[in-house]
Amino acid sequence: MGVKGLNQLLKDKSPNAIKEFQLKNLFGRKVAIDASMCLYQFLISVRQSDGQQLTNEEGETTSHLSGIFYRTIKLVENNIKPVYVFDGKPPVLKGGELEKRYLKREKAEKDREAIKDDGSVADILKFDKRLVKVSQDQNDEAKKLLELMGIPIVDAPCEAEAQCAELARAGKVYAAASEDMDTLCYDPPYMLRHLTFAEARKIPIDQIAHKEAMEGLDLTKAEFVDLCILLGCDYCETIKGVGPVTAYKLIKEHGNLENIIKFIKESPKSKFIVPENWPFNEARKLFMDPDITPGEKIKLTWKEPDVNGLIEFMVKQKGFSEERITNGADKLKKGLKGGVQGRLDGFFTVVKNDTPKRKADDKKEKSNKRKKK
Amino acid sequence: MLEGKFDESTLLKKIVDSIKDCVKLCNFNCTEHGITVQAVDDSRVLLVSLLVGQTAFTEYRCDRDITLGIDLESFSKIIKCGNNEDYLTLLAEDSPDSVMTIFEDRKKERISEYSLKLMNIDSEFLKIDDMDYDTVITMPSSEFAKIVRDLKNLSESLNIIVTKDSVKFSSEGESGSGSVILKPYNDLEKPEESVNVHLDNPVDLTFGLKYLSDIIKASSLSNQITIKLADKTPALFEFKLSVGGYLRFYLAPKFDDEE
Repeated sequence: MGVKGLNQLLKDKSPNAIKEFQLKNLFGRKVAIDASMCLYQFLISVRQSDGQQLTNEEGETTSHLSGIFYRTIKLVENNIKPVYVFDGKPPVLKGGELEKRYLKREKAEKDREAIKDDGSVADILKFDKRLVKVSQDQNDEAKKLLELMGIPIVDAPCEAEAQCAELARAGKVYAAASEDMDTLCYDPPYMLRHLTFAEARKIPIDQIAHKEAMEGLDLTKAEFVDLCILLGCDYCETIKGVGPVTAYKLIKEHGNLENIIKFIKESPKSKFIVPENWPFNEARKLFMDPDITPGEKIKLTWKEPDVNGLIEFMVKQKGFSEERITNGADKLKKGLKGGVQGRLDGFFTVVKNDTPKRKADDKKEKSNKRKKK
Repeated sequence: MLEGKFDESTLLKKIVDSIKDCVKLCNFNCTEHGITVQAVDDSRVLLVSLLVGQTAFTEYRCDRDITLGIDLESFSKIIKCGNNEDYLTLLAEDSPDSVMTIFEDRKKERISEYSLKLMNIDSEFLKIDDMDYDTVITMPSSEFAKIVRDLKNLSESLNIIVTKDSVKFSSEGESGSGSVILKPYNDLEKPEESVNVHLDNPVDLTFGLKYLSDIIKASSLSNQITIKLADKTPALFEFKLSVGGYLRFYLAPKFDDEE
C-alpha cells in the first residue's frame, strides 16, 4: 500500500513542503480523515498488554471502536473538527491489488497454523497482525459510533483519499489526513500523515503542502501522477528495476509514461522490463479524474453527542466502561460547542524567513538574517 | 556586539514572565533602536509583539543587528537569579552562540554572570498591517485582569460588547453566567484609573479566556491597557512600557460556526 519511496523523494527534493508538528498546531482546523485506513491502523495497534485485540464479553473485537472513540476525542479536545470519509466500492483495477492482499492474508494464515503449536507468542502475534482486515461489520460499527458522537461522516463513491482531497480542495476542510502517499495525486492543498497515531507513540504529524511539493519536484500534475504509478500505486504493477531515483529521472527526462516505455523498448541494453498489457493508462485516469462527490454538495455538521445512544451501544453492547464513555461524551460536548476559535493566519500575511534550515552543528548560520519592524 | 544595561532587572523579569507561558521559544532581534520580539503561540491564535526601546536601557549599544534565539523557560530561570534592584546587563557578540546576563548589586561588590546557549529558531514572521479599529478602550490593567479572572470561573469564552455609552464583558457557562459593565470614567487625580472608550462602530466579539488569562500576566508592566477591537478581526491588547516600548498581544476572535 502506498507509493514507495515518495516520502523520501519529497524530503530530498522539496524539504520545505514537509513540516513536522504536534496536534495543537492544528488548533481550530477541520480535517478529513481516511476512515478505512485509520480503522485498519486501530485494529493493528490498539491491543491489550498481551498483544490480543480488545474484545467485549462475546469475544467481538472492539479495538477499532476504542481507537475511533478516544482518538476522535483527542482531536476534538485540541479543537480540531474531524470528518471521517469511508471507502465506497473499489475501482475495478484495484482488484489485482486486493487479490494480492487476500493471498498475503491467506499465506499468513497458513504460516500461523504451521507454527501454532511450537511457535513463540511473538511469532504468532506477528502473523495475527498480518491477518487483520477491516470487515464490513466493523466499518458499519465505526460509522454508527461516529454518528452517535455527533461527528460527520462522508461515504465516498469510490476511494476515500480522493474524497478527502476533494473536501480540502473545496475549502470544506483544511487538509486530507491519510497515511497513503498517493493522496497527493488528488492534489489536496495540505495532506497530513500520522494524525490518527496514538499520542503515546510520540510521532509528530507530518504536513505536506501540495503546492510546495510540486514546486520542489518541479513536475506538473500529469507528470507527478505518472511518477506515482512508476513508484507503485494500488492499481497496477511497476516496471521492474525502477526505484524512486530512477523513476524521478525518467519522468524528468521523458515527461510521461508513453515516452518512457518507448525509450525502454528502443534501448536494447535496458534492463528494465515493462509489464505486458500494462494498464497504466487506466490507473492514470483514476488519479486524474477520480470518482468523487463534489465538495460543495457535501454539508458537514458537528452535533452534540447522543449520550444515551453511546451508552446503549458502547457500554451495553460493546462492554466499555460507562464512566469512560460519559466522560468522553462530556469532552466532546465541550469541544464542539462555543464557536470556533479563529486563527491569526488568515489575517496577517506570513513573511517567510530567509533563515537557512537548521542544521545540527551549524549554529552560526543564522547571524545574517534580520527582521525589521 | 550587543551591550544593553537595565537600571533594574525587574523590567526584563516581568517581560519574560508575561510571555513565557504562551510562547516558549522566540527570537530576540536586537538593532540599534532596541530589542524586538515577535512570536506566535503553537495554536496560532495569539501573537506577541514586544519592543524594548533603546530608552529603556541606561546604556545601550548594538552595532550590528543580532538575533538571539532564546528558550524563555531557561532564560526566565536565569533572570530569577538576580535581585530586583540589581543592574542587569545583556551581552552578546556578533553572530553569537550564547548570550551573557550579568547582575550587579547596587551597593555590594557582587557580580554574577550567567551564560545561556542560544537556539536556532525557525520562525515565520507575520506582517501586521496597520488596521482600522472600530473601538479603542483604555482602562486600568488591573481592572481588566480582574474581569478576566472572575469570568474565567464561569466559562471558556468572554464576550465583549461595546456600545455608545458602555463596555460589557460577559460569560455564560454551564453553572451560570456573569457580566461586568464599565462606563467611561475620568479620574483627574489618578488618570491611570480612568476608563476611556473611543467608538467609531459598536462591536460584539468573543475571545477565548484561556488566551486572555495569558495576556493579563503582562498587567505588571503597565497600569493601563489599551484594547483595540474591530469586527471579525484580531484584537490588539497593548501594554505600554513607561521607559519606552510596548508589549502587544494580537488575539484572534472566536466565530460562530458558519455551517
